[in-house]
This record gives sequence, C-alpha cells and structure tokens, in this order.
Amino acid sequence: MSGASETAALDSPAPRRTFWSAALMPWLLMSPALLIAIAFFGLPILFMGRMSFNAHIDQRFYVPDFTWDNYAAMLTDPTFRNAIWTTARLALISSIATVIIGYAFAMLVWLKPKRWRLAFVALALCPLLISEISIIFGWWMFFPKNGLLSYALVSSGLITDKISLMYTEFAAFVGLTYVTLPFCFFILLSIFDGIDKKVLEASADLGAAPLRTFHEVLLPLTKGGIAAAFAQSFIWAVGTYATPSALGPDTLWTIGYLIQEQMLGKHNWPRAAAFSIVLTVGVAIVMMIIRMLSSKRTALNG
Amino acid sequence: MADTAPPMEPPKLAHTPRARLDATLLRILGLAFTVFIIAYIAIPVVVTLVMSFNEASVIRFPIKAWSFAWYQDFFASPQWVDALKSSVIIALGTTVISTVSGVLAAWAFERFTFPLKSVVYLVIMLPLFMPGVVLGLGVAMAFGNVSIFGYDIYGTRGLVMLAHSLWAMPLVFMLMEATFRTVDHRIVEASYDLGGRPVQTFFEIVLPSVSTGIISSALFAFVISLNEFVMALFLTTRDTQTLPVLMWLSLRSAGTPRLAVASVVLAGAVFVSLALIMVWYVRQLKKT
Repeated sequence: MSGASETAALDSPAPRRTFWSAALMPWLLMSPALLIAIAFFGLPILFMGRMSFNAHIDQRFYVPDFTWDNYAAMLTDPTFRNAIWTTARLALISSIATVIIGYAFAMLVWLKPKRWRLAFVALALCPLLISEISIIFGWWMFFPKNGLLSYALVSSGLITDKISLMYTEFAAFVGLTYVTLPFCFFILLSIFDGIDKKVLEASADLGAAPLRTFHEVLLPLTKGGIAAAFAQSFIWAVGTYATPSALGPDTLWTIGYLIQEQMLGKHNWPRAAAFSIVLTVGVAIVMMIIRMLSSKRTALNG
Repeated sequence: MADTAPPMEPPKLAHTPRARLDATLLRILGLAFTVFIIAYIAIPVVVTLVMSFNEASVIRFPIKAWSFAWYQDFFASPQWVDALKSSVIIALGTTVISTVSGVLAAWAFERFTFPLKSVVYLVIMLPLFMPGVVLGLGVAMAFGNVSIFGYDIYGTRGLVMLAHSLWAMPLVFMLMEATFRTVDHRIVEASYDLGGRPVQTFFEIVLPSVSTGIISSALFAFVISLNEFVMALFLTTRDTQTLPVLMWLSLRSAGTPRLAVASVVLAGAVFVSLALIMVWYVRQLKKT
C-alpha cells in the first residue's frame, strides 16, 4: 500500500510539482497537527519538567529553584507513597476485571448470530458516549443507603435493613471498570473477528470439551489481544482519578487526585508538576511494553 | 445444529450425552452473562433517567412523585444554561480544529513519504494516551500567565478547545489514516493524469469519497470534547465553565436531581448529533 503511494508521489506527471514542493508538501499538511501536539503537549511537558524542580515557599505558586525535594517527597512522605501504591493497585485490579468482562462480552458478541451484533455494539458504545461525570453520578445514586440497590434488595425481601456500598473500594472498582470496559471490548472484538469460527467446530469434532477448546484453541489465539486490552485499560485506569475519588472511600487517594489537590487546592505547582511527570513516565513505560509486545506479535506472524 | 446432524460420525456420537450437558451449561452461562452485561451497562443510565423526573429535591428511592420540575429548574438557571452553551461552543471549536488538522495530517501520511515518519507519528499520537489531568495541568501551567495583545489566554474557550484537540486530533488522525487507505489510488492518479492539481484533486475527488469517515471522526471529536471535564476543570474560569465541570463541582457539594437532568441533557446532545449523522448517512446512501 505504501509502495503505491510512494511511486504515485514520485512519478507524478504534473509539471508544477517540483522536488521542493513535493518535499515540503507533507510538512505543510501536517503543520497544524504538529503545532497542536508540540505547542500544547510537548512544550507543557518540558515546562512541567522544569517546574518540578522549583520550590514552593509560603503561599506563592512556585519559587525558581533547582531541587529534587518534590521527587524525594514522593518516596519519603507516606501520603504520596500510598498514592502511588493505591493508583497501581486500583488500576491493576480494575484492569483485570475489565479484561475478564470485556473478553466474555466480546466472545459473546462474536459467537451470537449477526443480527444481535448491532444491538450489542450499541450497548458497548454507551459507556464511551456518556460523560465520565454522568457515569459517576449514575453509580452515586445506585450505591448509597437510599439508592436504588438498597431499595431493590429490601423490597425484594433479600435483606431487611438498608445497605450502603457507597464510598467503598468496591464502588470505585465498579465505576472504574465501567469507564475502561468499552476500549477493552472493542480491541478484543476486533481480535475475535479475525479468528475463523471453524476452529471451534474442528476442535469439537476432534472431541474436545468446550472448556478445553477455550483453553487450548481460543486463549492462545487471543493472547496478544488480551495483553493489548489489558495495557490499554491499565493506562486509562491510571489516569482516571475522578471516578475512584468520587465513589471510593475518602482515603482512596490516587496520583491523579493528588495532582488536582496540589494544583487547585494547595496551589503547590512544583509538587503537582512532579507528580504529573511521574504519571507521564509511568504511562510511557506501559506504552513501550505494549509496543514491544505488539512488535513481537507481528514478528511471529511473519 | 447438533440435533439435525446425521448420527453417522462415531466421535460425535460417543460424546453426545456429555456434549449435550456442556451445551446446556454453556447456554445458561451465556444467558446469565448477557443479563449481567446489559444490567451493568444500563444501571447508571436508567437510574439517571428515572431520577431526572423526580419531583423531590433529594436523591432517594423509591420515587414518590414525578414531574418535569427539575428540567424547568435547569433551563431557568442562567448558570447551568451558560455552562451548556459553553460546552457546545467548545465542542464545536474542538471539532473544527481537530478535524481539519487531523484530516490533513492523515492525508500527508497516506500520500507522501518523508523522513522521520515514525517519529512524527508518535508525536501526533502520544497525547491521546496521556491522562487528562497531565494534559490539563501542563497547558494550565505553560499558558497560565501568557497573554496575547494584553488579552489573557488562560480561561478562554479557545485554550480549552486546543487542549481538547490533544485527544480529539490524534483520534481523527488515526481514523482518517485508516479511511484514506481505502481510497482507490487509481482514481487519484486518473485525476492527476487529467490535469487535476493536487489541491483540486484532494477537495473534489478524495474528500467526497471519504466523507463518511470524516463525519464520523468529527462526531467522535465533538463527543470527546463535550464530555471531557478534567482538562476543562484546570482551564476554565467561572465564566467559561463547561457543563461537566459544573456538574463535578456541584457533585462535591450536594447531589440533587438537577444533576440527573444535566446528565440527561449532556447525553441528549450526544445522541441528537449521532441521530443527525445517521440521517445524513442514510440520505447519502440513497443518493448513490
């Protein structure tokens, strides 16, 4: 495909297109996109990198300085150390839940007749099209003592006293998984769509029970997809701090929450910048792992 | 299928009782999971929809009386209507910025070879994978004190549009890169052969053939911007506050059915634009 575009660009018969305009043209076309990426992402990251070495004295936003204090604080201060641990734990558990649910969901859609497909895909698009704040608020009305869950359980006679699951880690996981589920689902569905369903029949004909077919046929075929889906939802879960902080217990402080707290609450710019740099590096590492995994996969496939 | 299969093949026959039990179990499991996934995805949506028609001012189930009172309250409140307006303006701006820049960059990638292509690809795509809190904070810090012609750019809607484009533009770029690959090169070359200039060819031949892709990626850009609230939280002032930001701030103080109405309005805006595009798409299909 790229070969075709190459020859088209080089052998173009139009006389106006000199070498220079052909060489400049792509950069001209890309300039708005590059401008946005560099001016509003690259530059701010550099700015934050510098900011993270500044000091925070009295009530001023920042004082120019060169100190490692902000990074050292993350290792020494238990609040920040806990936040890193909490973020990693939340992201890990919710990503595992997301991958399991997303895998089952994608497999269901793949196995069901085609006419169900549109309805299921529309269902999976819902969490993607709804704002995170609306999702938070929806669960916020479901879990508390006077919420729908408690009312439904009491009125169905399953329990006698009202219960509240609000402000628990379980609520945080439910919300976080809800937010990351669609990404995972669509990645896995595209992997399943690439598998010929006849392998299932072949496996059954050879006498394998469904569980064995799953374990020895489907799982190896979808391994790469599972890794990609897991990494994708992990990245999202690490960055999503509003959902766990609104639904989880008060002590559930993630790095994202601390960034907001330092910036908007305490006006400690250098500290907020240092946290952001750590979060960015963490995301970059996960992305590099994905790239390595996916390049290995393509290398294996030829 | 299993019942109608001729009972000729010995392996299948030998496994029949076991296989039948397995099939029943699988069907039950599949059904249970279907119920679970529908309930899981529907719960927050249904709860919100139901609560928006509540008459009382507290969030409490069961709902005793139904009314449109909170809808009236929402549209009568200047603060909430302004936030909605701000959201729509920012989302439209983001759509224009990210669609134009994303489509052009994707075309450059499809049509040209140039040095450092993979590096440029990474530069364009990287912001999409960054947490909103990092992007919002970075832009807020870097542009917090910048003013152009004595006009502070911090707190303006334009800055929020550009920040939202950090997510929307790579998404448009990614979708359009895939879409442009489906364009038949022979048509483009035929246009060149007939004397069409590159710009003319792009606008008259290429763009119409990928209009569905452009419209869908523009819709994604619109939806992302409309729903986003972490970057907007860092970048807006009281005057430019978007609806999700206002919702987040009011959820922190107290939740009332007004928030449910705001959720419904926000989702309504998304689904209305989705429906408009469906109508456009169906018309487009009829034309050809």
